[in-house]
Amino acid sequence: MFSLSQRIQTLSNQALTFACFIFVFVIATSWLQLIQQHAFMTPSSIDNIKTSINLRTSRYYGSMNGKPKENSKILFDLNTDLSPLFNWNTKQVFVYLTGEYEGQLRPQTKSEVTYWDKIITKGDNAKLQLKNVRSKYAVWDLEEVFVGRELTFKLKWNIQPWIGPLIYGEANGNKTITITSGKPANVKNEKKSSA
Amino acid sequence: MNLRFELTRFLNLCFVLSSAFMFWKGLSLATNSHSPIVVVLSGSMEPAFQRGDVLFLWNRNQRSRVGDVVIYEVEGKSIPIVHRVMREHHSEKNNKQLLLTKGDNNAGNDIPLYANKNIYLNKQSDIVGTVKGYIPQIGYITIWISENKYAKFAMMGLLGLSSLMSNE
Repeated sequence: MFSLSQRIQTLSNQALTFACFIFVFVIATSWLQLIQQHAFMTPSSIDNIKTSINLRTSRYYGSMNGKPKENSKILFDLNTDLSPLFNWNTKQVFVYLTGEYEGQLRPQTKSEVTYWDKIITKGDNAKLQLKNVRSKYAVWDLEEVFVGRELTFKLKWNIQPWIGPLIYGEANGNKTITITSGKPANVKNEKKSSA
Repeated sequence: MNLRFELTRFLNLCFVLSSAFMFWKGLSLATNSHSPIVVVLSGSMEPAFQRGDVLFLWNRNQRSRVGDVVIYEVEGKSIPIVHRVMREHHSEKNNKQLLLTKGDNNAGNDIPLYANKNIYLNKQSDIVGTVKGYIPQIGYITIWISENKYAKFAMMGLLGLSSLMSNE
């Protein structure tokens, strides 16, 4: 009447149902905790942004056919506390600083670029107090000229769970700044003053 | 030996196989992606995704956002790549969107991986799907089977044994 395969089938069925219930429970409680800790309204401040431009001729820096491309870098301060994002279903938090802007020649082109990012795996390290930090990436645009563009900087985050859906959000507080050429202009000024 | 009994069992087997196939294709239709569930094969997204993790994809979004983890396929390479979008440029007039991606665990962006000296991915043609959900480790069995030559025989043996057992 009760064969071995039947027993195995019943057991695996039950294990699967049980696992599903646990998954749903974990996902639901972690969501509730995020809402309760106001994770989606985390304040942040991005200050003291200094921009600079470098000309690069490599394909890996956006240059086409050897034409020099304007690569933008920034220095910035960042203050935020992301510890509300950490609960028992948080494996890591990926924080990233992006700039949003419009095209100059083609204003209907909208862009968003990442300047800096960080992986946080522990809630203890979730308080970020950065001073005069260099951006991780050199950013170029589709168009040749990047100077004069107005960028809106935002701090965004992504929670990678132990199990379940990936959760995305944005910290409150953004900053709009116009890209200037930074270094080259300064060099020119110094030359003039010394002459 | 009962012919009718054997035929019923064969029919049952066919039913199981065809319903699994229908489920897969139905999921494919619903998500608009040719492989809606994938197993991570490389460590380039560690510590977010390890080898063997199972990812659920969705491809009905018109545009990708920065920070999305996407799966893309490069022309001429058969292995799909799981990486994060770090830049996007889109036009409000049409559906075109250009993406630049990077693996969390890699130092540089993905330009060296792209086909035909491209420096961007095309959302419409290159992206297989965006990662929405995640289950750890259970996909490791497929990696184990495809990389271990004895694993296939073990699976066959187990299947044969189970069919003998159910004969009772």
